[in-house]
Amino acid sequence: MSQIIIQGLLLSGLYALIAVGFTMIFSVGRVLNLAYGVYIMLGGYIYFQCVQVWHLPKPVGFVLAVAAGVAFAVATYQILVRRLENNPVAVEISTLILAVVMQALIVMIYGAASRTMWPLVNGVLRTDGITVPYNILIATIASWFILGGLMWFVHKTHMGRAIMAVSMDRKGAMVSGIDARRISLITWMISGGLGAVAGVFFATYTQLDPSMWVGPLIIAVAVVVIGGIGSIMGSLIVAHLIGFMETITTSLLAAELRGVFTMLLIIIVLIVAPKGLFGREEL
Amino acid sequence: MLRDPNMRKYAAGWALFAVFLLALPYVASTGTLRIFIFANFIAIFAMSWDILSGRTGYISFGHPFLIGIAAYTSAMLTYHLGTPLYLSIPAGIIATMVGGTFFFVPALRIRGTYFALVTLAFMELIYQLTQVLRPDITGGTRGLSGLPTILTGALPNYYLSSAVMFVIAVCLWLLIRTRLGTALSAISMDEDAVKSSGLDTTKLKLFAFMVSAFVAGVGGTLYVHYLGSIAPRAIFDINFLFTILIAALLGGASTIIGPIMGAFFLTFLLEYLRPLIPGTERYFIYGSIALIVYVLEPKGLYHIIQRLYGALMRRGEA
Repeated sequence: MSQIIIQGLLLSGLYALIAVGFTMIFSVGRVLNLAYGVYIMLGGYIYFQCVQVWHLPKPVGFVLAVAAGVAFAVATYQILVRRLENNPVAVEISTLILAVVMQALIVMIYGAASRTMWPLVNGVLRTDGITVPYNILIATIASWFILGGLMWFVHKTHMGRAIMAVSMDRKGAMVSGIDARRISLITWMISGGLGAVAGVFFATYTQLDPSMWVGPLIIAVAVVVIGGIGSIMGSLIVAHLIGFMETITTSLLAAELRGVFTMLLIIIVLIVAPKGLFGREEL
Repeated sequence: MLRDPNMRKYAAGWALFAVFLLALPYVASTGTLRIFIFANFIAIFAMSWDILSGRTGYISFGHPFLIGIAAYTSAMLTYHLGTPLYLSIPAGIIATMVGGTFFFVPALRIRGTYFALVTLAFMELIYQLTQVLRPDITGGTRGLSGLPTILTGALPNYYLSSAVMFVIAVCLWLLIRTRLGTALSAISMDEDAVKSSGLDTTKLKLFAFMVSAFVAGVGGTLYVHYLGSIAPRAIFDINFLFTILIAALLGGASTIIGPIMGAFFLTFLLEYLRPLIPGTERYFIYGSIALIVYVLEPKGLYHIIQRLYGALMRRGEA
């Protein structure tokens, strides 16, 4: 029982981190960035390349991974999304194509086989029959810190409030002197960075794999859909809902059924309450 | 419909296409024919996608769901019960049309992005279910192999797939030239306007979804009985979806010839690239090409060709 709670909490923290970067773009630009999974994949592979191939120190690998995520997100926005901004369906299709292209690129460089990533921190914490690898513990705590920092940034800083304003009413924000294009670009940068960080953590949880972008993307989509448009709080709650649901399914039913309930939840919520359980609220 | 002054031109175009398909085996090698069989199937799937998504504007990211239902139904019937193909194929098509209603129900309430997501969720759901739920029937992760095939050899299969593709294309083309087709296209532009002009959009959408499912069903069942095997990863896969989507979009959505052109173009590219880079790396090249074309001209190759043709004609007149 306590094992389920601990594991659920750990998984949910990661899911929240994965989802929040995706939510932000949706909230500010009203577009689904289906290439978001690529930032996760890129984060994982760049870290792998730096630390396990070039043997650079771990923090350097981490920073480079985040930089790659940010750079790629900026490129996605400037080259692709800005051209198609008034056509959300075109953005979705082109970002999906981009994701498949990037997957093919990863296959070209690293091969189709999956790679194992070393844990960020070695060792296992053992108390009262509960075992938690330090790696996962650290990743979860880091996720919470990042999420907390993000909440602070969005609510307390000038820039964050501008982001929130654009997400609520783009035209209104522009009238009051906010450069919405710049805000969009900054949001994409943050999203790329968050995705890359989540990718490093996610890869240490599971494995590096050329199709590793699909799973997290679906989780991010689920969180956004179920939580309602671009609400950070809603995303946190739903990330825990899905995290616990998956943990419970894995430990009580079968590991393979894990994704089934997430999919069912997406379908049911979209049909019954298309605006999501938490409706439209501010970021 | 027959009063269209361009009718002769169109008929000549279709006749030319038919001649091309018939003549191809005389110049092409068996290997190339196999490539064309694949192109024909992709063209069928792309046309099916286009009737649903290109016409009505309800973008489906889960088309492999429909194709897979048809393929799996027919595959399981023949594999476990020894059902003859002339029964299992219609059964597969009917099952797909039932599956199509799964797409239709959400389309009553949600549009755009959300609809695309529901269909994507359907695809992932069935992908996982086929592996977990009763793997003794579905064949689990490995799928089923040793299924009966309709015809053997490249040449008969080429003619079969070409004929089916051609008939579907002409039927769809005739269909969209009726007022019904016009109404469907209008839905993608402004559904509420169509509704307020007194048309029953629910019925129209249901019709489009059923036609799409029917075509997907025909394509899916024939495809599985051409390959003789089926596996979840080969059907319910983002790369498969990607190939269909790209074929339709690259060629030009909401035209009939566009998806066919897209499918043939992609397959040519694939054939051309095979000696240079084998394996999944191909996706990188043709994904990139598709992305560039799509971003520069979302209406696709057909539109580009039309524009070039128009420019040439004008220059000729001047």
